[in-house]
Amino acid sequence: MLIMGEVRTGLLQNSAEIEERDHQAVLGLLAGERVRMSRRPIVYAVSPDLLTGVDCRLPSASRARIRGVGTVVSRSSITGGRVLQGSSYVRVTRGEVNYRLPWSHYLARPGVVEVLGKVSGPDVADGFLAFGAPGEHLDLGSVSDRFMDVVQESPVLDLRAPFRSNRTRLRWVAETGEPGVHFTLGEGQERTLKVTHQGEFSPAVVDLCEDLALHDWLLTTLLTIVQRARIGGASRPEVSARLAPAVDTLLHLWMPGARIHPSLAALWESLERTPGFSRQWQSLVERIRDQLAVNTLALLRETNG
Amino acid sequence: MTSFSEVTAERQIKSGPLSHVSVELGHLYMEDFQAGPDRLRRQFAAVAPWLETVRRSWQSRTPGGRARISTCFLIDDYFSRFSTPSELVPMILTAAAENDLVIDYLARESACAEADGVKLAKLVEDRLVPDPPPGTRGWRPPTHETGWLANGTRSPVAGSGQAMKTAVRWEAPTQNAKRGHSIFVDVELWNDDSRGRTWSCPFLAAVWQLLRLGLLRNEGQLPVQPVAVDGGFPTSWDNLPPVVKLNSSATPFSAYTTLSVLSTRFLQVELAVRTILSQVSVDEEVLKQVLSRSSDEDLRLEEELVDRISYVFL
Repeated sequence: MLIMGEVRTGLLQNSAEIEERDHQAVLGLLAGERVRMSRRPIVYAVSPDLLTGVDCRLPSASRARIRGVGTVVSRSSITGGRVLQGSSYVRVTRGEVNYRLPWSHYLARPGVVEVLGKVSGPDVADGFLAFGAPGEHLDLGSVSDRFMDVVQESPVLDLRAPFRSNRTRLRWVAETGEPGVHFTLGEGQERTLKVTHQGEFSPAVVDLCEDLALHDWLLTTLLTIVQRARIGGASRPEVSARLAPAVDTLLHLWMPGARIHPSLAALWESLERTPGFSRQWQSLVERIRDQLAVNTLALLRETNG
Repeated sequence: MTSFSEVTAERQIKSGPLSHVSVELGHLYMEDFQAGPDRLRRQFAAVAPWLETVRRSWQSRTPGGRARISTCFLIDDYFSRFSTPSELVPMILTAAAENDLVIDYLARESACAEADGVKLAKLVEDRLVPDPPPGTRGWRPPTHETGWLANGTRSPVAGSGQAMKTAVRWEAPTQNAKRGHSIFVDVELWNDDSRGRTWSCPFLAAVWQLLRLGLLRNEGQLPVQPVAVDGGFPTSWDNLPPVVKLNSSATPFSAYTTLSVLSTRFLQVELAVRTILSQVSVDEEVLKQVLSRSSDEDLRLEEELVDRISYVFL
């Protein structure tokens, strides 16, 4: 059995952090279901899980024609009232028959895509992580994107983001085995993650992938802000003005591993050693604060003449 | 080891009591009422032996023959309003008693749209996961946005603009899960007009089945609780509880399975109901609760929802 998913992460299109009480309106995608929220150590809210039906070819590194039928599980989440994620995943299994069954069969197995015929898990995983053009293949990214768009369409939001940013795309696959994690930073906005965990798959693995996608986006976005500030190139007040959104919006959101199940905490820790997400974040934060401090001193000097 | 949890981050799903089978002894529409009490008596006379068969069949399947069988009856107060509860309910109960039938629960059809302030039909609408035609690889506009739900791909229709210049050749509709040939079904779920939304009869009947199977929740709570009526039935349908408990010793209203004894004129409606129910995704937690309860009773429950629903057409 193979489990694979795609997380898309971006900035919520709203000028301010959204308030706690607005999360239900923004993420309440299903009547009769409450948005789940946690407030410690950071405000995090997640929509109910929703299903999308698919019947299409699955990605394959060997370009094999593999047909899968079933449902994708998706959800939207907001962290710190600022960062929006759309996340989808499927469990790929071999179907018992090689023809399509009535839809009620697939709805009795939420989140499972059954393959009609033979399938090799590693072949599908490699095909998926290769980020080829989706063509006729399963497109988890478009489903995740849709779950971001639905939230952005909420009338509660003013659609004025404090700065420009890109959506990142993280594709992940998970399997059971000796615990390990392998993160690859691809070109542009593409990232891949291979997770090996002990025991049965649980949604805690999805939490881990979403948390990693969140922090990768924070780091990517902060790097872009620092680059755009042209430290050393532009005037000090200009640099400060360009760095300000980072201070207002992003710096306090760094909480790696905050919602990770203890059984998976070691995987986050190994990513902290290499590539060392928090080390890079800390050094960027210090750089920003130093720039602001130097500018403040310059301003003070001018004022005191 | 320390642990910390926040209440609002956890889902809590209530579970309700369940009978083995919920037997629907009939539907009552305006035309049945207009046909007079004789029609009702004849219907109950035809239903009685089937109820007895169901009783015996479940008694043989349960340890000590302790089968929990509840009976129910549905009155339409949604599509047309006729008579009053104080006039109609005693008439139904008399006709049933004459055939040695006990109606345990009485429900109003409008309760399937909204009951006790909970919009049940909306709960079910949001849980529709349309049957994807081959080639569906990601998100696509839901097929039910138009108020229609199909079990396959519709025939193409001539579009506007450029498409009008070339004649559109007729193509057959196809059922997604066809074996050889298609039986294509397209169901109208609702229509909207200036007075608001009117849910279709099959859609409300699908809600009715889900209620009887105990599979609906609103914010984790059971949305409808049967209520006993003391001191006579009201003179207005709005004052009658959505589901009335008529028999104080009845086993629970909801059940692992349902059986509906209906006139063959409901055959098409029920095909539509099954087309809808095949595309409803019931909460996974709720499904697990019901499965674990049934296995505690050594009962093997069908995995697919539609396989828990059966009929006798008369």
